[in-house]
Amino acid sequence: MRLLVIEDNALLSELLAKGLRTAGYEVDLLATASEAQAVLMTTTYAAIILDLGLPDGDGLAILRELRHRKDSTPVLVLTARGGLQDRVSGLRSGADDYMVKPFALEELVARLEAQLRRPGQQLGNSLHIANLEFDLRGRQALIDNQPQVLSSRETEVLELLMRSKGRVVSKKQVEDHIFGLSGDVASNAIEVYVHRLRKQLSDRGAKVTIHTIRGVGYLIAEEKRDPV
Amino acid sequence: MIRFESIISRIVILHVIAVAITSVLMSLALSWLLSVATNNIHNEAMEEQAVSLAEHLVLEPDGQLSLHLPPNLQGLYSQPYGRYSYAVVDAAGKTLFSSLQNRAPVFAVDPRASTVQFLDTHIGGAAISGASIRRIIGGKTLWVQAAEDLANNDVLIDDIVDDFYRHVGWITLPILFLLLVIDIAIFRRALWPLRQASETAQHITPARTDIRLPLQEIPSEVRPLVSAINKALDRLDEGFRLQREFTADAAHELRTPLSILRTRVETLDDPGVAKALHQDIEAMSRVVGQLLDIAELEAFAIDPAEVADLQAAAAEVAGFVAPLALEQGREIALLGATAPVLVKGNAEMIKRAIRNLAENAIRHTPKDTVVEFVVEENGKVAVQDRGPGISDEERDLIFRRFWRRNRNQQGSSGLGLSIVQRIAELHGATIEVENRVMGGAQFSLQFIPVPPYPKA
Repeated sequence: MRLLVIEDNALLSELLAKGLRTAGYEVDLLATASEAQAVLMTTTYAAIILDLGLPDGDGLAILRELRHRKDSTPVLVLTARGGLQDRVSGLRSGADDYMVKPFALEELVARLEAQLRRPGQQLGNSLHIANLEFDLRGRQALIDNQPQVLSSRETEVLELLMRSKGRVVSKKQVEDHIFGLSGDVASNAIEVYVHRLRKQLSDRGAKVTIHTIRGVGYLIAEEKRDPV
Repeated sequence: MIRFESIISRIVILHVIAVAITSVLMSLALSWLLSVATNNIHNEAMEEQAVSLAEHLVLEPDGQLSLHLPPNLQGLYSQPYGRYSYAVVDAAGKTLFSSLQNRAPVFAVDPRASTVQFLDTHIGGAAISGASIRRIIGGKTLWVQAAEDLANNDVLIDDIVDDFYRHVGWITLPILFLLLVIDIAIFRRALWPLRQASETAQHITPARTDIRLPLQEIPSEVRPLVSAINKALDRLDEGFRLQREFTADAAHELRTPLSILRTRVETLDDPGVAKALHQDIEAMSRVVGQLLDIAELEAFAIDPAEVADLQAAAAEVAGFVAPLALEQGREIALLGATAPVLVKGNAEMIKRAIRNLAENAIRHTPKDTVVEFVVEENGKVAVQDRGPGISDEERDLIFRRFWRRNRNQQGSSGLGLSIVQRIAELHGATIEVENRVMGGAQFSLQFIPVPPYPKA
């Protein structure tokens, strides 16, 4: 899968390329807005990593032109400008995600994958946390590579949590995901499903924890072992 | 000494002094003019009397002069009436005719005098004023004198002068006073654009440097000053713009190398060193981020019409900090309101404030305790921890920039609470710091609730 990195700082773009290649991507590097615009007219990438501060123009212009052409390639914007207005204008111009420098390479890769896994995007195999795997195509959970049988509700909850790895999923999001607009949801239905899922996972030896953040939602993370 | 600071008060005091001097001078001038005018009338009358007396002097055939006054004139000069008197004196000073008892001349004769002379004298206690004319009859030079006793009751001219002051003269004062009042009104009207301009200037702050003073109605004398101020504001605005640009540039120049450093560290072979370096970079990134936040807040203006959902903001921050807290063995909980709580302000700024409070709380609360967010319907959000609490001495210190209880503590820049304070200021919100009964600190922010929610 080929990615385009548009970043004028040579050192940073080299390091980004190195990190992304390690993560299994092919990477093209460009340093100016004009080059990028020319290349994007003829080439399609799986995703674009775009720095906003380019020497010959604003990166947002590239983004706007791309969206104007109805090109929906995921664009992850990198910026040193963390200001409120910058953030808002970045997302308004059609950025799919926004990262303020300095960022963790690991997080960049994770967010990139999240974008690539969106419906209609290219990455579609499986999600991993510790020894737990979720096969997105087969919609099935695996623990230590052994397929597990879970109820359809439990599977749906697990998929949502794993797709949002590292982030809190609000109770409302879980409700919407499972029940859609069908309406009536028993007030404790979600708690019941999460409780069951948690029990199923721990009974089957998955080294993950589903945290409840009271008043907010749920978060799945690798089980923390207190050092003995 | 009283100082007159305002233009109006200066004008008023100067005007009052001018009115006082003018009214005195005007009175003096009027009285002088009046007395000159009455004097002239009197002198003319006396000269006419003398002329008419002279017409009645007849040269007899024996060479003697005789005076035959008609009865009406005899009455006029009669002793009992006493108002007018006459005398005819020859060159030798001998009185030929006189209405006075002792046949004396009214005025002493001066041979060198011109044809008409106006003279004053005293006879007894009375002030006598009159005219003396020279006539040559039958080769003899004579002086015909006519005079009036000014103290006589029938003399009206003096009374008119007195009357003028008593009944007419006072009108000058109110007229001058009215003029003063009208002038004050005129000056106030003329200064109105200046007052408007100063009110406009009141709104200029670092966040609103685009305001300029209006020039349209400013009087031309003051216009150079106002346009000079506007030019100074242009230069200030430019300064602020450069400052803002500097902030953006500094962000770029600091954050890009930090990114490089971080990425390099992530690809290090020694995981132990990498982890330690990683923590250092995290701490430094945080300080850089907070410094830039402060710089941005300095020039941030909130739209007064903006409304934010405090509950949603707190929920978002709780969700954002939860992974970090769980990783460090602390829990997060959001309590209180579950429906939207609307307050005045900018949602992004409110989130930043709550996030800074939350990061502080996570740092200070012991392992396996809960950091609680409590949102109240009246527009209040509290962040509670189970840490050591805040001592009385520290209460003011904690909001100072770069203040830290323990200067060696990792990950703390001492900027978080000053950011919270600045955001609270911008929102007209109040910060409360309390120690909890069971131990720990509670920081709460009371924002301005937006109706229909009841006021706190």
